[in-house]
Amino acid sequence: MKEIKIFLIFISPLFIGWFALFLGAYKISPFLIIKILIDNTFHIFHLNNTPENAIVIDIRLPRVLLAGLVGIALSCTGAVLQGIFRNPLIDPYILGISSGAAFGCAITIGFLGFIPLQVNAFIFAVLAVFLTYSIAKIHGEITKLSLILSGIIVSAFFTALVSIIKFLVDPHKLQAIVYWIMGSFSLADWSKVKVALIGISIGIIPLYFMRWRLNVISMGEEEAKALGVDVKKERLLFIGFSTLAVATATSVSGIIGWVGLMVPHLVRMVVGPDHKLLIPLSATAGASFMIIADTLARSLTTFDIPVGIITALTGAPFFVYLMKYKSKEVWGKHA
Amino acid sequence: MLKVKNICYSYKNKKEVLKNITFSAKKGQITTILGPNGSGKTTLFKCISGLLPDYKGEVEFDGKLINNLDFKERAKIFSVVPQEHTPPFAYLVFDVVLMGRANYIGIFSTPKKEDYKIAEEALEFVGIKHLKDIPYTEISGGERQLVLIARALAQKAPVMLLDEPVNHLDFRNQLEVLKKIKEIAKDRNITVIMTLHDPNLACLFSDYAVIVNSGKKIAEGKTSEILTEELIKKLYKVRVKIYSLNGHRIICPLI
Repeated sequence: MKEIKIFLIFISPLFIGWFALFLGAYKISPFLIIKILIDNTFHIFHLNNTPENAIVIDIRLPRVLLAGLVGIALSCTGAVLQGIFRNPLIDPYILGISSGAAFGCAITIGFLGFIPLQVNAFIFAVLAVFLTYSIAKIHGEITKLSLILSGIIVSAFFTALVSIIKFLVDPHKLQAIVYWIMGSFSLADWSKVKVALIGISIGIIPLYFMRWRLNVISMGEEEAKALGVDVKKERLLFIGFSTLAVATATSVSGIIGWVGLMVPHLVRMVVGPDHKLLIPLSATAGASFMIIADTLARSLTTFDIPVGIITALTGAPFFVYLMKYKSKEVWGKHA
Repeated sequence: MLKVKNICYSYKNKKEVLKNITFSAKKGQITTILGPNGSGKTTLFKCISGLLPDYKGEVEFDGKLINNLDFKERAKIFSVVPQEHTPPFAYLVFDVVLMGRANYIGIFSTPKKEDYKIAEEALEFVGIKHLKDIPYTEISGGERQLVLIARALAQKAPVMLLDEPVNHLDFRNQLEVLKKIKEIAKDRNITVIMTLHDPNLACLFSDYAVIVNSGKKIAEGKTSEILTEELIKKLYKVRVKIYSLNGHRIICPLI
């Protein structure tokens, strides 16, 4: 039974991606989608110049792929960060990594156009996570609460810096920054997919191979050391690769919160906490979740709602649920 | 043979908590570090296991100085059963035992068939194979201690360090856990060093005792010989009478 569930989560992005390709304002039949996809690989049906082909290949497919990649990045890093900090209530957004990356992007859009977006996003994401980590450390120890609070502080700080930039830039750029920060895939194109694929792969692939170590490190620093793990060095690697993936995701899609918090929890409910399974399944479930959220964002109303709004609307109640009803698992016995 | 020579330790800017402690522990024997609360037992334990690296003195194993080993090398010599412990996630018992193999599994790798086999054997040896697929957070305190001991066994290290292994356990579980530890020392020829604060349990289960008080070693020797009424009085400020029953020494407080 568990094997079936695992298999379903594993292949879910394929089906959900397919659904997302035929849902939309312009009706395209599910079979035509498959035909178009095959045609673009093997060139047998000669559909190249049809409007359906343009809609699927140029508009919907990059958007679905981008949403999937960002979903993988946020969910995987959510699971990783929850593991190394032994704290089920965090994700890249709560730790301030997303806000740091957003600030890096905002400066690039506003003033430093000559530096690539992703480079700045990564630099400030690293700065943000470093700040959160140092502020949370009180007398050499990081508690669950101090980590969340310092994440809030760092987030607030970088959000304020972004506001300064919004205030200073010309209105044309302001609109670009505001819309992008709300978190959206509406500007998806193939060049963004390429950037996301490279950056997120460099971050996530090592995390995938290092996943079993998370079990050991999540037992606590002293225990992991006694088991022969150089915790300080390995934690740095985990945080570094996670930050790279999150910075890339933020640079192509803006701030999308809560996904990294929710998805690992949902996966843990099905397969348990062993990171050997949790990490790959968080990746596929995260991709599916994000594609669903984005499909809702673009088809619920006639407008393209920023997907960050959808994830926050589901994530905030989920956080309350975890805090109130899963208190024993979340806070441990000595809450 | 594990030799501990002239260990001194002081926490930042505070007075010395360990003063010149020297002792040695033999293979296949249980050596107990015995002392009242606040005597420096746990600090000594952490110095030996390498969790407090900035001590003065030397630790030697089989004639090799092992002060400056990194975590990986150290874990090849010592396995550690920790005292306090709250796991953040409800891992299965088997997954917890498997973590004992971390030292043999590279950072970019996952456990191999061999690691699964060793973890399985450790569970069987400790006698808790039936708990294998139960979440670690849902078993009793005594069972949890046995799981940690199985994990330490899976580490395949020649020295096992246990910090207050029977703290918080009830009467029966104390005996079960200590019996198992004794079996491990004899069967696997492992050097076992543990801390205890109950002199009766030390008497019943250990071969050798190192008595620590206010950071100093005040006695050392075969448990059956050195635990005298005078020593207990000096150590715990309690008057006791020691009886002999079927070859066991029973320490009975006079109240």
